[in-house]
Amino acid sequence: VTTPETARQLRLREHQLFLILSIVVGVLAGLSAVLFTVAIEQASYRLFGLAPSRARLFAVPPILSLVTGVLLARFFPDVRGSGVPQTEAAYRLEGGAIPGRVPIGKFITGVLCIGSGHSMGREGPSVQIGAGLASVVGRWLRLPPRRIRELVPVGAAGALAAAFNTPVAAVLFALEEIIGDMNAALLGSAVVASVASVIVERSILGNEPLFHVPAYRLVHPAELLAYAALGVIGGLISLLFTKVLLGLRALCLRLPSRSRILQSAVGGLIIGALLVFNPAVMGVGYEYVDQALNGGLLLKTMVLLCFLKLGATIVSYVSGNAGGIFAPSLYIGAMAGGAAGMIVRQVAPFPTADPGAYALVGMGTLFAGIIRAPMTSVFMIFEITQDYQILVPLMVANMLSFVISRRYQPVSVYHALLHQDGIHLPLPGTQAAASGRTARQIMRTRILPISPELSTEQAWQQIVDRDEPGYLVGTADHLFGVVTREQLAEWRTIGKSTDRIGSLVNRHFVHVHPDHPLDIVLDRLSEARGVLPVVSRADATRVEGVVTADSLLAARANRSADA
Amino acid sequence: MVSAVSSDNSADRAALIHREVIQLAVLVFIAVGAFFVTKAVAANNRNLSMRNADEWYQRGEQLAEAGRLDQAVDAFRRAMVRNRTNRTYLLALSRALAQKRDYESARTVLLTVRASEPEDAEVNLELARVSAARQDVTEALRFFRDALYAPWRPDQGERRRAIRLELIRFLLTHDQASRAQAELVAASVDSPDDVAHHLELADLFNQAGDGHNALAHFQRVLRLAPENVAALLGAGRAAFDLGEYPLARRYLREVPSDVDAAREIREVADQVVSRDPIAGRIGARERHRRLEANLTYLQQRLVDCNAQHGQSVSGGRYALQNDLQSFRERLRRSPTLDQDTIEAGVDLIDRTERDAIASCGSSTAVDRALVLIAKQHGAASQ
Repeated sequence: VTTPETARQLRLREHQLFLILSIVVGVLAGLSAVLFTVAIEQASYRLFGLAPSRARLFAVPPILSLVTGVLLARFFPDVRGSGVPQTEAAYRLEGGAIPGRVPIGKFITGVLCIGSGHSMGREGPSVQIGAGLASVVGRWLRLPPRRIRELVPVGAAGALAAAFNTPVAAVLFALEEIIGDMNAALLGSAVVASVASVIVERSILGNEPLFHVPAYRLVHPAELLAYAALGVIGGLISLLFTKVLLGLRALCLRLPSRSRILQSAVGGLIIGALLVFNPAVMGVGYEYVDQALNGGLLLKTMVLLCFLKLGATIVSYVSGNAGGIFAPSLYIGAMAGGAAGMIVRQVAPFPTADPGAYALVGMGTLFAGIIRAPMTSVFMIFEITQDYQILVPLMVANMLSFVISRRYQPVSVYHALLHQDGIHLPLPGTQAAASGRTARQIMRTRILPISPELSTEQAWQQIVDRDEPGYLVGTADHLFGVVTREQLAEWRTIGKSTDRIGSLVNRHFVHVHPDHPLDIVLDRLSEARGVLPVVSRADATRVEGVVTADSLLAARANRSADA
Repeated sequence: MVSAVSSDNSADRAALIHREVIQLAVLVFIAVGAFFVTKAVAANNRNLSMRNADEWYQRGEQLAEAGRLDQAVDAFRRAMVRNRTNRTYLLALSRALAQKRDYESARTVLLTVRASEPEDAEVNLELARVSAARQDVTEALRFFRDALYAPWRPDQGERRRAIRLELIRFLLTHDQASRAQAELVAASVDSPDDVAHHLELADLFNQAGDGHNALAHFQRVLRLAPENVAALLGAGRAAFDLGEYPLARRYLREVPSDVDAAREIREVADQVVSRDPIAGRIGARERHRRLEANLTYLQQRLVDCNAQHGQSVSGGRYALQNDLQSFRERLRRSPTLDQDTIEAGVDLIDRTERDAIASCGSSTAVDRALVLIAKQHGAASQ
């Protein structure tokens, strides 16, 4: 039997061990990020050589996309795209559980996709690989679920720190994006992992900033107006990128799932054609960002590359390949900023900084507008370039871009991507309120859905004796939508009696998740015409219960009885 | 760490923590192994990157030589991205950009390196050249100085001297003669004692308007190589410019007669030496003779000039002719001359020559000699 003092010492030791584990996870995540970077460079060199022919540029992406398409469809279906939203979902919804195949699959497919010329970044995959390794380590150590979950952002921070050589930005990103809380208690562990990771990365690759940039500064106070304009432009380009990406991805997702391999190959084919037209959009593309930052590109080249990269990244992403959007957002931003800087230099009636300074700020604006992590963006640019002279213009432009992007695209790209996959992450407000009464405590779990295979007439016959305002259509594992009594009556009268109800029902239905607080449930219930499905966050088509006016009253009555 | 097995018993927890420590040790072992593997892979990749960089650099050099500067710049940039620490690539890039007349980009590239290596002589030198091409004299001077006062190794003295000479030439082309003279004095101090260096310095001193130092360096060359034609010619000219006409004549007479550049100046020097009435170490009779001869020559020159141009004699010219005539008569009357008379004669020579040159243009060696004589002795009309 141990004394309270011994127990206290054990708890203290537990914290110390977790801190040590954070260091080890940081080191492993950093090593994985370094290895991932090196592997991509090697793959790119092996596939394309130093100066590839047109035929090679055209042929490599589709052939490799076919290979990765098979890998992604058959073996690693959960490693498509960036990896950041999946990591976020794993942290928030799955208790940090990331299967061991995820980091392996992401590494292999990421190297093949990016190395074969797809216009994607290596940082998002690094985050998923680092987080996946952390989760695997946590489970191997048989840690409790809480600790496994806590290791996920720690691994993510470590990986990002090494991928970008940006320890501070990586910690901020883990807090801002993965955890969604800047005051998180995990700050200490994330910092430790990030520092360990960067030490490892620098000891292997050297302490070189990602980009070499001259010491830019604000040349004239009026230049802030130009930077503000750049912020607006950055916000609009971010919007364009996000909207087109989400729109085309939604279209691709509607195609039959068996076409996924073909989609990857078609994406590769388009990328091959783009590479023949202009190889500068290949892969991560940091050497061109470097050129833009150093004033090495012409105005027309930068404008062309801005839009080519935007298109290439969208194609690579929506065709289901594995790679991130960090690097493309920096690339597009650098080109847009550099072009804006050249124009400002030509027309401004006041002295201005070199176009490279605008390229630098442009990188930040696109990052803030697309990734929606403004604090991370500012610190990342600062750390990447190791130059703080441009901090004020950067903050001005970033904030404007962020505000514009959020105003016209309220859901961030990562959350919207998850949404398209049927995963609904809780908003910060939801998390805070979850300590009160939630939908889980109000919902009725006995559900009698209507089969989607029934005709309207058959469905009508099934519900004609039931006295409910609306009915769920589908099964408990796959909800198609909600239909009201009035809708069924109307479809019968307009000649749709024989139509399958599954084909008529609107698949965009109002719903809540089990952790939604009472006030949101009440709001949504009023929009939902009396029946509000409660669906899983990890799979928005899986029904966990239903809230109706009756279930609310029943919950109220039960509570009174308990009291 | 609390195990997945939910246990309230601290003894169990202690056992679990003991197990976790072992697992952590295994993890650390794996991490260390992974570190060395990754390091080896990264080193291999780094070597590949270096090789690629070098290949791009070689291509860039070939393209630059072929005049395909856009492609050369692109190749150098690719080399630089793959090996950022190699200054050769960077300097090649900046030179290619400068060749393209894209001075702003060249400057930006160089400033990027300078930010981390502010004392790098080569980078500062390239920056100075770019600034010179941009006609930014102040900045060029700053970078030239930074290059000059960079920490040079003792065996790089020749390179440093070359930079100083480049700076001097830059100063001379931008009318900064006094600064150039100061740099030349410094260059003289650390210059090797050989013919080529002294000739170069002498020439630059000459361009900077410092005839004394120019002459000194030419004389140093002549001590090392007494028959060096360039030094003889240079010394002759320097002495001539300094008004040391006998010395100039001495050097110029040593110059082979087939050197055209020496002929005219030698003639003038001869005339100055033989016609100067105020020259030292000549007797009163000779002084008288020279003055008389000069005035006679000028009287005839005015007559020829009037005849050549068919001009009617102006009031001023008429007065000059009268002055010449009366001065000659005065000389005839008094065989010995006092200093004031001689100086008055030289003043008259000067006025007459100026008038003749203004109206009749081209002048002979005698005319130029007479002007120089007047100038040397500070004629009243100067």
